[in-house]
Amino acid sequence: MSISRRDLLKGAVVAGAATAVAGAAEAREAVEPSPDAVGMLYDSTLCIGCRACVTRCKEVNGLPHDRGDGEYQQPVDLNGSTKNIIKEFKDGEKRALMKQQCMHCVDPSCVSVCMMGALHKEGYAKRHLEGERKGSGIVLWDKYACTGCRYCQIACPFNVPKFEWASAFPSIVKCELCRHRRDERRSDVYGLANPGCCEACPRQAVVYGERAALLSEARRRIAAEPERYQAHVYGEKEGGGTQVLYLAPAGVTFANLGLPDLPDGSSAQFSESVSHAPYLHGVTPIALYAAMAGAIWWNHRKDADRHGKEDE
Amino acid sequence: MSAHPHPRAIGGRMFDPLMKTLLAIFGVSALFMAYRFTAGIGAVSNMTDGFTWGIWEPINVVVFTGIGAGAFGVGLLCYLLNEGRYHPIVRPAVLVGAICYTLGASSIVVALGRYWNALLLPVVPHWWNLASALLEVAICVMAYVAVLWVEVLPSVLDGAAASSSPRWSAFGRSWGPRLARAMPFIIALAILLPTMHQSSLGGLMLIAGPKVHPLWHTALLPALFLISCLSMGYGAVVVLVTLLRYAWSARHDQKLLAGMSKVNAGLLIFYVALRLADVAWHGKLRYLGWNFVTFVFFLELALFLAPAFMFLSPGVQRNRGKLFGAALLSVLAGALYRADTYMTVYRPAGWSSTGEAIPSAWQYFPSLGETVVTVGMAALGVAIFLFVSRKFPVVVVDATRERSTLGGGRIRAAQSR
Amino acid sequence: MDNLSQIAALVANGVSRRDFIKVCSAAAAAVGLPAWAAEKMAENVGKKKPSVVWLHFQECTGCTESLLRTSHPDVGALILDLVSLDYHETLFAAAGKQFEQALETALHAGGFVLVVEGAIPLKDDGVFCVVGGKTAVQSLKECAERAAAVICIGSCASWGGLPASAPNPTQSTGAPEVLAKLGISRPTVTLPGCPANPYNLLGTVLQFATFGTLPALDEKGRPKFAYGRVIHEDCPRRPHFDAGRFALAFGDEGHRNGFCLYKLGCKGPQTHANCSLLDFCEVPGAWPIGIGHPCVGCTEEGIMFGKATQPGHADTIPIYTNLPVPPNVFPPIQPEHRVVSGPESSTLSGPIAVGLGSAVVGALVGAGVVATRKITTDSEKVQPKE
Repeated sequence: MSISRRDLLKGAVVAGAATAVAGAAEAREAVEPSPDAVGMLYDSTLCIGCRACVTRCKEVNGLPHDRGDGEYQQPVDLNGSTKNIIKEFKDGEKRALMKQQCMHCVDPSCVSVCMMGALHKEGYAKRHLEGERKGSGIVLWDKYACTGCRYCQIACPFNVPKFEWASAFPSIVKCELCRHRRDERRSDVYGLANPGCCEACPRQAVVYGERAALLSEARRRIAAEPERYQAHVYGEKEGGGTQVLYLAPAGVTFANLGLPDLPDGSSAQFSESVSHAPYLHGVTPIALYAAMAGAIWWNHRKDADRHGKEDE
Repeated sequence: MSAHPHPRAIGGRMFDPLMKTLLAIFGVSALFMAYRFTAGIGAVSNMTDGFTWGIWEPINVVVFTGIGAGAFGVGLLCYLLNEGRYHPIVRPAVLVGAICYTLGASSIVVALGRYWNALLLPVVPHWWNLASALLEVAICVMAYVAVLWVEVLPSVLDGAAASSSPRWSAFGRSWGPRLARAMPFIIALAILLPTMHQSSLGGLMLIAGPKVHPLWHTALLPALFLISCLSMGYGAVVVLVTLLRYAWSARHDQKLLAGMSKVNAGLLIFYVALRLADVAWHGKLRYLGWNFVTFVFFLELALFLAPAFMFLSPGVQRNRGKLFGAALLSVLAGALYRADTYMTVYRPAGWSSTGEAIPSAWQYFPSLGETVVTVGMAALGVAIFLFVSRKFPVVVVDATRERSTLGGGRIRAAQSR
Repeated sequence: MDNLSQIAALVANGVSRRDFIKVCSAAAAAVGLPAWAAEKMAENVGKKKPSVVWLHFQECTGCTESLLRTSHPDVGALILDLVSLDYHETLFAAAGKQFEQALETALHAGGFVLVVEGAIPLKDDGVFCVVGGKTAVQSLKECAERAAAVICIGSCASWGGLPASAPNPTQSTGAPEVLAKLGISRPTVTLPGCPANPYNLLGTVLQFATFGTLPALDEKGRPKFAYGRVIHEDCPRRPHFDAGRFALAFGDEGHRNGFCLYKLGCKGPQTHANCSLLDFCEVPGAWPIGIGHPCVGCTEEGIMFGKATQPGHADTIPIYTNLPVPPNVFPPIQPEHRVVSGPESSTLSGPIAVGLGSAVVGALVGAGVVATRKITTDSEKVQPKE
């Protein structure tokens, strides 16, 4: 037998111990929404599909016109030149409109996976970025740290980040809550951002404000007209919570609107807990290296001695 | 006649028809790569926002490096567990590893959108997002590529020492032993690094929870990828050594390889046990039924179990060809598992709680450009292997087809390390 | 009299046949009637001009004033050639008893078109509007009983208008409601507006004069040809609305650029009227939105004087989603993204790619099988003694 039973047993014990240690290691904590977090509330029952928000978004973000293959050449989905879009759910007579853009999650998957922190919560980038303020919770993209690996596209449960496939120097494109339109002299929410879509909307179907205030407003609307709405605010807890909240008409599910059914915990929390557990904050690799280097060196010495003793 | 032959440079005509064909295939793929750099990734590939990694990440990176894990596996057996009789296959295994990882790293450059920023990665540790599994893979793989080529260095230095040029020979003779003394520390790294990044390659899909089918998505992804990469690696080494025997009359120690394959069998069975236990423990057996996903699931398990039982059968252990076939199956098993986790059971709009894919109207099949680039990279890898083996002492060749004399465990030391 | 003699009579009176036909053509064109209608008009009108009695109650006379500013036909042609205006408090030169006599004569004849301008107060037996000793209610009762049809011109006559705005101390009421209370049932047309567009009146009256019929009416008695659509549907600033360009304050850049006034409280989306299509005073753009003020909804009860329009207090109002929104197509929640198959696929992406990929996989698997078999047979030939 090449490998002795003893060796196998040793291996199994080590593997078992490692798994046990991994299990006992601390899970990564859940992220709570910042008290100053800003976001949007989209009320599908108020939207009339005028698409003023789509056009305004293109305008204020300097995005090119889409030459898409939708009717009238309109874009059919978020893409490398469309950060905001209105879609329609239709099922016979039932009809509802849906506004799609970045959800600005409380614990974003894209931020967790981005290698050099190109996607980051405002103020929390890995490299120092001028003018960013902590607490707003807006998810921003930094072109100097992005390698275009597109892991964020895999990670995002809402499939929000889009990529410029036709460009030799592509970017990741997604809504950034029009942070560049903020009025820094103001101390209210408009000092943090000023989304063009909310400004353009003639029916106030999408409104901008502090997440906490928007959440209460959403709940208030459901309580005031329970026959009008789905009795749930999407984004309150889904995937760890999002800063863009949704209200759906009664009789239309959030899944109908394309919003995935996510558990309350964020994917980032799960993924990081599992991935980091074995590392024990870097102790494991170092200890393992030291042990292995020692063992290999010792084996090497043993062999050298043995062959030194034998005659060839 | 020495009972323990040394590796030697194969020599022979470098640019034979095989080499020329391989380089031609790579040349065509290079054209596609050049086009990709000028016209953007979308111009050559079918990758879209729904299926954003295509085959370049899953195949060129994840599968190729799985094959290259032979270096990891053999190094583990030979140096850590001190099974010195594996020495003769260390060099080819390490060379394959170095090549596969280099191919993986080069493919990544082609696959990355903003590749110029990737060059920054190693030099900006203060920018690293330590939460990212992909960062871990990137840094680890970059380091490991370097380590692997350092592990190839002994062949180069031996070749230098044996060369006719006096300066080159002096260089080889003085640096060879010095490197040999440092080797334990390098080899330890060569075992630590793949442990980390091969499991992280599995960990990459942890965050895509909703999008990967529940039968594949589990907290055990890193462990399963680690186990299956080792079995892919061992299988690849058996395949390699067998092919070398036929190509260059390389030494093919059936008993050695069979022994290694028994370790592989253990790994394969451990993988299947872990996988099934995990699926049952989390109540995911309910997803099995008359559907495509179940078919793929059982195909994978079959591909893992078949070689395991073959490796344990004495008939297969004695027969070169059957061992070769079983080893191929074990490589295929690991490759399929990876392809499935990244592509086959990945759906951009996710899976419903009943295990059905939520329709998303995204579709993907590798484009001409993508296939050509993948094949071209593989061809280049083979070409590099041929080149290095011809020029430097990597492969151990038998003048006559001898029986293996494993007997008392006497192992040739030092110079061939 | 036959037509020839009629026309001869007109010619004798100093109106040339040609001028008369011109007047009829212009009148027909003004209200969108085809060319043959002009001839019919000339024919019928020649027979007997319909009698019109025009009552004024709680009003500002704005509707009469706007009628005076028409030109095709102008009011002179109207009252001299096309209708017999038998009682009108503003336009008559006569006064006093002579004037009341004219009304008596018209009433005695009967079969006239009664035009009501202004609201009717009901409080305290209608004592808040007394003309010639009679309250508005009494006048209306007397005239409506003898009329063939009733046309309520202006918002005041239609539903109460300004006098009826809160707190409505005199209990001003629109004519249709009063007639219902009085139990008088006559074909009633309401032409709300403040003022009503005079061409809507002309169209109605001329149709009645030509064909003896009233235009199709909606449930509020408003002619559908004028009140069938809301301002929002035909507004020239609609493209700005659709593109999300709004004036946010009077005088701001958006306002100066003529952007949509919705956010300043424009009531266009719920106001049925044709102001954007039919200019007042013949001046193009002479209507509220045209000059930069949001529509106040002057034709609609509950909106005009009911909802605010001042900046800062603007009540924006719901917009009905069943109105056409061009282009009325939206992408589905999961839109098509065909890359491998379908029109988007190219040589690089389509069937050839699928073929090549499958061929590569097939070749690899095939090579593996062949190699295994070969090596197996080879190794079985040479029996290793291990």
